[in-house]
This record gives sequence, C-alpha cells and structure tokens, in this order.
Amino acid sequence: MFKNNPTLRYISHRAAWYFLTFLVAVTINFFLPRLGTANPVDIIMGKVGTGLDTEAAKDKEESYLKEFGLVEVNDQGELLRDEAGKPVKTSNIKQFGRYLVMCFQGDLGTSFLNYPKKVTEIIKDALPWTLALQIPTIIFGWIVGNLLGALAAYRRGVFDRIFFPVALAISSIPFFAFGMLLVYVFAINLGWFPAMGGYAGDLIPSFSLTFFKSAAYFYVLPFLSIFLILAGGQAIGMRSMGIYELGTDYIKCAKWFGIKENKVLMYLFRNAMLPQLTGLALSLGSMIGGALITEMIFSYPGLGMAILTAVQGNDYPLIQGCTLLVTVSVLIANFTVDILIGFLDPRVRAGNQMGGK
Amino acid sequence: MKLLMNLLKSPSFLLGAGLFFLTILFAVVGPLVYHIDLNTTAGSYLPPDSQFRLGTDNLGRDVIAMLISGLRSSLYVGFLAGTIATVVGTFLGVYAGFKGGWIDDIINLVTNLFLVIPTFVVLILISSSLKDGRSLTLIGLIIGMTTWTWSARAVRAQSASLKSRDHIALARINGAGTFTILVKHILPYIASYVFMVFILQVASGILSEASISMIGLGPYETVSLGTILNDAMRNEALGDGVWWAFMPATAIITMIVFALYVINTSMEGVFNPRLRK
Amino acid sequence: MRGMKTTALGISLALTTLLMFSGCGSKKTDSQDNSSGFPRSKTLYLGGSQWGDPNSFNPLADSPAWPVNDKFNVMYEPLLAYNTQSGQFEPILGRLVSQNSDSVVVILNPAAKWSDGKPVTSVDVKFIFELGRRYKSAPTTYALDFISEIKVSQVDEAGVKAEQLTFVVNKAGRNNPLVVMDLLQGIRIVPSHVFEPKLAAIADQSQALSDIQKLKIDSVPVVSGPYTLISYSNEKIVLKRRDDYWGNAALHAGKMPKPEFIIHPIFKSNDHFSIALQKGDLDASQTFIPRIWLKAKEGVKTWYAKEPYFVPGAIPMIFLNNTKYPMTDRNFRRAMGFALDYKAIKELAVSGYSPDIKPGIIMSMGVESKYYNDEDAKKFGTTFDAAQAKKILTAAGYKSILKADGSLDSMVDAKGKRVPTLYIKCPAGWSDWEAIVKITVKSFRNAGIDVREGFVDAGLYWQSLPTGDWDLILHKPASSVSPSLPWSRFEAVMSSRNWAKVGEKMNENQGRYNQPGSKNFNPKVDSLLKVIPTISDTAALKTAYRELNVIFMEDQPVLPLCYLPEQFYQFSDKTWTNWPTETNPYAPPQLPWVGAGIKTLWNLELAK
Repeated sequence: MFKNNPTLRYISHRAAWYFLTFLVAVTINFFLPRLGTANPVDIIMGKVGTGLDTEAAKDKEESYLKEFGLVEVNDQGELLRDEAGKPVKTSNIKQFGRYLVMCFQGDLGTSFLNYPKKVTEIIKDALPWTLALQIPTIIFGWIVGNLLGALAAYRRGVFDRIFFPVALAISSIPFFAFGMLLVYVFAINLGWFPAMGGYAGDLIPSFSLTFFKSAAYFYVLPFLSIFLILAGGQAIGMRSMGIYELGTDYIKCAKWFGIKENKVLMYLFRNAMLPQLTGLALSLGSMIGGALITEMIFSYPGLGMAILTAVQGNDYPLIQGCTLLVTVSVLIANFTVDILIGFLDPRVRAGNQMGGK
Repeated sequence: MKLLMNLLKSPSFLLGAGLFFLTILFAVVGPLVYHIDLNTTAGSYLPPDSQFRLGTDNLGRDVIAMLISGLRSSLYVGFLAGTIATVVGTFLGVYAGFKGGWIDDIINLVTNLFLVIPTFVVLILISSSLKDGRSLTLIGLIIGMTTWTWSARAVRAQSASLKSRDHIALARINGAGTFTILVKHILPYIASYVFMVFILQVASGILSEASISMIGLGPYETVSLGTILNDAMRNEALGDGVWWAFMPATAIITMIVFALYVINTSMEGVFNPRLRK
Repeated sequence: MRGMKTTALGISLALTTLLMFSGCGSKKTDSQDNSSGFPRSKTLYLGGSQWGDPNSFNPLADSPAWPVNDKFNVMYEPLLAYNTQSGQFEPILGRLVSQNSDSVVVILNPAAKWSDGKPVTSVDVKFIFELGRRYKSAPTTYALDFISEIKVSQVDEAGVKAEQLTFVVNKAGRNNPLVVMDLLQGIRIVPSHVFEPKLAAIADQSQALSDIQKLKIDSVPVVSGPYTLISYSNEKIVLKRRDDYWGNAALHAGKMPKPEFIIHPIFKSNDHFSIALQKGDLDASQTFIPRIWLKAKEGVKTWYAKEPYFVPGAIPMIFLNNTKYPMTDRNFRRAMGFALDYKAIKELAVSGYSPDIKPGIIMSMGVESKYYNDEDAKKFGTTFDAAQAKKILTAAGYKSILKADGSLDSMVDAKGKRVPTLYIKCPAGWSDWEAIVKITVKSFRNAGIDVREGFVDAGLYWQSLPTGDWDLILHKPASSVSPSLPWSRFEAVMSSRNWAKVGEKMNENQGRYNQPGSKNFNPKVDSLLKVIPTISDTAALKTAYRELNVIFMEDQPVLPLCYLPEQFYQFSDKTWTNWPTETNPYAPPQLPWVGAGIKTLWNLELAK
C-alpha cells in the first residue's frame, strides 16, 4: 500500500528530511553562540561584581562558572584547575551531551541572565503574548489582503487603479517605522490609543471582562502596525496571481464553455492560492522572530525582547530554548506547506514534483 | 532588446525607475552639492529653520547631512545583500530545480537550515569576534547570507518547470553536461525572472538593514537610515514631537522600497504579457 | 458560502486569541481578586529600577529583582539609612550610637518585628553578616574582611530592653571603618528563622546555600519593611502596604505611608517610562530622560527646578591604560585632560544634567565639598584649554600631523615614531555614553590627539574592563553614593593593592596606574589609601584627602568627564504631591524606595 500511494510516500519522504533538518539545526543552534569570544559570566559579573574587590570577584565568578556547568568539577564539587591555577573549562561537546540528556527529560536548562529562572518558565510566560499578537494579525492580514487583491484582479478598472498603488505604497513602509508613526499620531498627538503596554497598568491578567477589554484596547495599534502592511503585501501578490490566472487558457476556455462565473472564480483562486499559502506558512513560521521590533516599540509583552537580550548577553540556555522554538515552528510551517501543496497540486501527486510558481 | 523597449514604454516602469534614479542622485551627487559636515554641533534637536532645513538631531548634527550619509550606507548594504542573496539563491535554486532527486532534498535541507537560524545570533556572534566590529560590509554580507532562501525557492520552481521542456531534452540528447545546460539553456530563460528577484532582494536588504539597525545591532560608527531611526527612538524624539528626527528617514526608506516594487511590478507586466492590460 | 467560511474562520480565530490571552499568566501570592484594578488615588507607580523579567525575590540571591536588590528598603531593611544630603545616618532597624576607627556601635530597635510577628534580633543580624563564614559563595562574604566580630550586649532603651551590637573593625583584615559604615547601610537584614531551617534541611551542606539561592521567595515573604510583595508578572511588580509595619509606630509617630499599593510597570525602553511619566500614569522614575525641561509643563519635576536639575553623585570617567604607550607618559595624559570640551559633554551628551565639573575626583558640592580645595584645583588641575593641551604635547615632543583639510591625520613622538591610534572602548547601545564618546573623540582630534571610537557589544565591554585589554575605556567607578566617598572613588581609580598585569583581572584601578616595582611607583598613594579610612580627626582627614587629590591631578591616571546623579530622581505631581525638592528638602533626592528617601512615602499627599 505504501508503494502504491504516492501521496503517502511523498509525505513520509518529506517528513524524514525535515526531521534530519531539525537535528542538524539543533546542533548548530547549540554550538553557534558558544563560538563567540564573550563569556556569559563576564556580563553577569558586570552587574553583580561592581562593588567587590578582586579576590571576592574571582570567587564569585568561579561559583557562577560552576553553577552553569561551564567548568569541570571533581567529586567533591571543587573546581579542577590547570597548572596556572585557572579553572578547566568544560568542552563544548561535553556540554552538548549534557544538554541533550536534559532536553529528553523536558528540562531546557536555567537561564544565565535571569538566574534562577528556568528557560521553560520564561518561554511559558512570554510565548502566549507573542502568539496572541502574531497569529491573528498574520491570519487576518492574509485573508483580507488576498480578498482585496483578488477583488482588484477581478474588477480591474478604477478600483484597481487606485487600490494598487496605495497597497504598494503601504507595503513599502517598514513596519516598525509604521508602528512608530501610529504611536506618534494616534497615541501621543491624538491620544486615542495607549502608546505602550499589553493591558492597563493597574490590571493583573485574569479571566475577567475588564482584563479582556483592556487587552483588546491595547491590542489595536500593535495589530494595525503589522496588519495593514501585511495585507498590502498580500494584496499585491494575490492581484498579480489573479491577473495571471485570469489570462490563462483554461479560464478562457471555461468562460467560453459557459461555466458559471462563481465556479470559474473557484478554479482561479484555488490555483492562485498555492503560492500565497506558501507565504502564509512562512510568515507564521517566522513570527516569533518578527515580533521583536513590535514588542520593543510598544513595550508589548512577549518573547521577542527576551531573545534579543539573551543573544546580547550570551545567555546560552535561553538562546537555545528560543532557537529551538523558532526551529520547530519554521520547520512545521514548511512541512505543512509541503503537505498542503501535495494535496492541492495534482502535479505533485503525479510524480513527486513540486509545482506552483 | 525588445524587452527593454517595451519596458521604457510602460509608464509605471518610468515612474519607478525615475523615483529610484532620483534617490541614487540624492545619495551620489548630494555630498558634492550639499556640504556634509557631521561634526557641527549646534543645539540638540533644533527645529527646521533657514540654516538647518530639516533641523538637527540629538547631537546637534544637520539632519539633511545625516540623511544623505545614511542613504548611501543603506543603499550600499541593500545592494550588497541583494547581490549576494540573488547570486547564491539563483545558483542553488537552479541547480536544485534542474537536478531534482536527492540533490534537491539536500539543498532543501540547507535552505531550511538557513531559514531557521536567527539572523541576529549570527550577526552578534561574528561582529564580536571581528576587530572592526559591525561594519556595513559585514551587515550586508550577513543579510545576504540569510535571505537567499527566498530567491532559491523562487528560482527553483522556475527551473523545475523548465526542465521538462523540449529544448532541454534536445540538449541532453546532444550530450551537453549539466553545467552547460544550466548556463546556456536555462539561465537565459529565467534571466528576466532572476532580475526581478534581484530587485526584490535589494528592497528586502534595505528593509532588513533598517530593522537590524533599529534594534541597535547596526553599524557602530557609520550612519544609516536605520541608525537614524534608532537614535530617534532612544532619544525620545517620538514622545517629544521631534518629527524631523524620524519622519524624513522613514519617508526615504518608503520611497526607495516603493520605487523598487514599482519597477518590479512593471517588469512583471512587460515580461509576462498576460499581466498587461 | 465564502461568507460563511469567513465567519467561521473569524469566530475560531477570536476564540483562539482569547485562549492565548488566558495563557498569559501572572503569579498571585495571595488570593486577592484584582481584576477591578488598583484605585489610582491609593497607588504609587514607580519605574526604572526593574529591567527584564523578575527572576527571584530571594534576598540571599546574587541579583534578585526589585525591590529585593540594591538599596531598596521597602521589603527588607538595613540597620541604618544614609542621608546623601546631610551625610547623617538615620535609624531604620537600628540606631547609630558611636563610630570610631575601632568599632561601630548600633542599638537594635526593640520594636522591630518581622511580618510573622517574631522580633528582629541580633541573631538575624549576625546571620547575614557572618554568612560568609559558613558559605564562601554568600553574597555578603566580603563583609568579613572588614568586620571581625559582632559583639552583642543588653542595654536599656528608655525602659525597654534592647540589644546593642558592636561591630569590631577587622584590623587584621582591611582595617577600614569607612567601608564598615557602607555595609551597615547597605546590607539588609533577613529573617534567619526562615532561612536557617531551609539551609539545615539540605543534605549536602556544601551545596546548601546555592540551593537556597535558587528559591524564589515570592509567596507571602517574611519581611520587616513597610511593604510586601503580593503579585508580579513580566509586566509589573505589585507591592501592598503592611498596616502592621513596626516602624509606623516606632519611627513615624504612628503614621502610615500614604500609598496603599506600589506598582512598578516593566517597560522595554526608556522612552516608555518618559511617556508614562508625562501622561501621569507613572509617578516617579529612575530612567534617564533627556531634555527634562520640556516635560515640566506636563508636571514632570526634578530636585532642582533649573540646571542641573539633579544632584550629582557619581563621576563617569575615561580610564586610560597607563601601561600602554603613549599613556605611560604623564604629560600625554595631562594633555588629554586639557583637550576635553567638558561643556559640550555636559550640554549635548547629558542634557545639561551636570554642574560644571571641577578638576580632581573630589566633588565640589554636597557632602564631599568639605574636602575639596579650589586653590589646588586651579593650580594642579586640568580644564578645557585646547591651546594648553597642544602646548604640553609640543613641549613633550609630540607632533600632530594634519591633513589638507585641517583634520588630524596622525601623531608622531619626539623620536619621530608614529603614535598608534587609540580607541575608546564603550558599549554600543547606551545612548548617553555613546554621545559622550563621540564628543570626546571630537575634542581629542581637535587638539591633535589621535583617538577614535571603539564601540563594542556590552558582553565584550564587561569582559575587557577588568583585564585592561583596551586603550581607553568609559567607566563609572563608585557609582552609588555611600558613606565611604570620596575614599572609595580614589580606591577604585588609584589603588595598586590587588595589582594584576594586563590580561588578568583587576576590579579597581583597571587602568593599571602606579605599578608596584616600577620606576615611577609612588608608595604614598597606597599608604594614603590605607590610612585615610582610619583617620577620625577632621583636619588630618582634610589634609590627607588634599594630598591624595593633588597626586591625582598631577598624574591624571583617568579623565573625569562630568558629574551624574546617583539616580535620576524625577517625579510627576499630577497624582501625588509634596515630593522632596531643593525647596522642600525633608528627604534626600533619592527615589522613595532607596535609602533614606523612604521617608517620602509617609509625606506624599494626593493632588487636589
């Protein structure tokens, strides 16, 4: 049955490759931050060790190195030292081994900079906000943009002539600059919306109407800053696709055969959607990284800023945890796209060939 | 050649190319015509007046001078990144699309790997090991090396759809090697497509540089449009209503990207007659 | 049909969004329904002290969150509070009786109690001060170098039995009574009856402290201070007033602090605190806000109504690598001191928040001013004088080679050898520091000294500061105002006590000035540094400081740049008024949760 079902073969083939990609990515994400010269303990010492004199600072630093598993210890828990008296650093391979073991136990490690918070805890607290902001925004932007683009492709005429340049212009604005503009105009000058935060300053998240109303109110500007530009970009793409498809022979044929307009449109959009779906999946996959700037501009809670400070501070466990998340989401998104295309594009089923434009 | 003539006849192409040419002019000719002195320190955040047409920034530097310098840097990074991304992406995409099979799968794996690694991890890592730190060239290089995935995908699809054409089969029967086929029989057909990809990559490179500089990971000493926005944010230009600190830079970025998009759309119209009407 | 699909999609999306918002949790430490919010007239909003997610509220941890870290005294309290304006020690858990070069005597307030009703005793004091004896990695281990023992005796305080603590200066150790005072106002007392059982329960005693340091202590903590933690999340930290705080009766004549809640919102950049302050959503903030005079019309005020707006407390400096050519040459260093345009630094980099800087590293105003000598400054100090800088350089044999357009190309020394370009190391991303560096580079180059900016990532900066792997570096030593100033500033800049060569770590005098065993070694520096803390006679102290400051000015091992406040104390009077200011100085210019500024909490009033 396996051999006779090309779709199943296709899916499992792709799944195997994605899994391999995942393994390589995790390995790279582990070793990459460690290739730098900056030592995470030095940064912590900058925060903590300012009042201490040299001797006390050395002791503190060694206790951190030990705590983070960056140096070798003997059975009594004392640091192993080389001839110069300096602690022996654990090799990266050994650290990787320990990391893998911990991951299988569900422990992603303890953050260096937010010590003693655990990485899983940090991600658990911040991720829902990032998802809440990004997922609806991306999906709505995609839907609205594609609808408008399809409309423009179908109607042409005056609507298209105005709509097209406007959409093009909007999608050219860098979305963080757009966020800054929105804040400047609507929050600071007009005062219609708050300039920052995820919810009102005197509320605590809970299952109450007050909280949800407040969160919605604070949601508007960040949402708009991403949504409008995304929709613009999608509209442009869909419009091109739509126009292209409208000129194809099979559509002309269908029209001449007298097939109803709605059905023709269905054929058209089903084909035009393929590359757009690819775009949607990729956007969703990379949303965790994309949240960063929006969170910075609006002081919106989420994982974005955490990743940036982690990278700047060489907080290896947090970097690894977040990149793991990004890896998983991007790969799953891509895998989903491949599968969707496998189902929607019959050319694929016919012979494991990627179609689409 | 005929394509070029058609392009020039298209009004949208003229608009886009015109706009873009204008910005290049501003960047290249600007320093010759307008005296750039990034060292004057007049008062901080002075509003526009007769001496400083767009006011001063937080350190008292002339905003117009900053914009011209910033524009040059941003264009440089954009083109560098766009070129690298297009070259790498086209090469890998064409090869993967044509060959198919497990070569396609491996290149797909590499593409996904690059998609997965966050740009700023690589950026901070490399910049902290280099003596010069984050220079424009380094940023351009890294943006290019992390954004080629898009062009690889796009070109691959084109190449894959071309490989079943008759002239390819003919070439193969005639004993042409892979490389020859790629260069002589596939590339020319997708050349116009690759050029459009290039335009979009440049636009994306400029936007990427702006966002990277905006979050503070930009070049240390050179001015770019992104660092101007970053300075504006950190020095509370937003809250104080100092619009000249961020509006002009935003407008310029938007204009360049818009111009590039218009060029791209008009090319689409010319190269693909079905889009014209 | 498409309409239905879209509606269905829309509904499911909305549901998903709601579900995601519900995943945004926060930790409530008691069962209080706060969905109705905190009344504005009962809440004080403070900001700028907590960046990033709150990690832990454990007073034994190395870097816990606000308000358990640093000098924030609202939950855990120290024995004394240091008033930075008057230089006096104000009582909190204890009362200062006497201090001399042998010991410091403090009487513990017999009314002091923990929130679980148990009294604060000498056992608690000894626990935290002597923790280093039992665990080497304790956060207070360094205290043992300065305090050799704590003697406890019983005395009679107005008819009530009280404990008297005698902190004996460790003469065999560092012998530094000044730092002992630092410790008494800096180390906060923690409940030993909470931590001792926890420590004892750990089987492996060598790991005990590290394990306990990992606890969050965020749920109904046992505190002695006027406020306690009730809730926190990644967006805010919420404290509630303790109506049974012992100090209300014992220290504040039965009054309670006015705000019932204190909330610290956590924003992601400085300008958000500034916007909130202007809108009246924030009452006080510790962030750097440029051009603060523009915000006055929004009700944002500072200690001084005019320049310099803030009371100076610390001196950012450019540390020079004294072992690296040409900064081995004293004349070169002094020329650098003359080259800097201090006014431009003050105006452009720090928005004028600094009074004019005077030569030397003793501040000419405030508590230190009694040691400042203006004649010495005029005679020995360096001030902005580019011509003088060039004169010194020429006299020492240096020549500046200019390019055709008049800008600096390079420098050569007396032997004709090219002087290497020097780089100022500074972390990229700290806007006021970046501005300082840009202006100093311009000043240097105008005077013909070949210096360039060398911005690096913060990680590299912190890594290289102690190792001396730099030419010039920006640093702010002795950044908090403590009783041991100005001695601690001299110690941080000139001490050769823990000398280590370039490449190894030094935590003070990172510029490696005054190398022991070298030709120019001046033993007077270290001997003055050793003896000053033990001098009690005011006249002798003044002479000693004067001598040390003159040595500093003559040798110029570092370049002081401007004065900056210890904290940026700015507040909004839209909701709360009667903040301490220059004209109303009932408390020092410290935010109301720092040190002696805590008095503010009892004196705030609601705006009409």
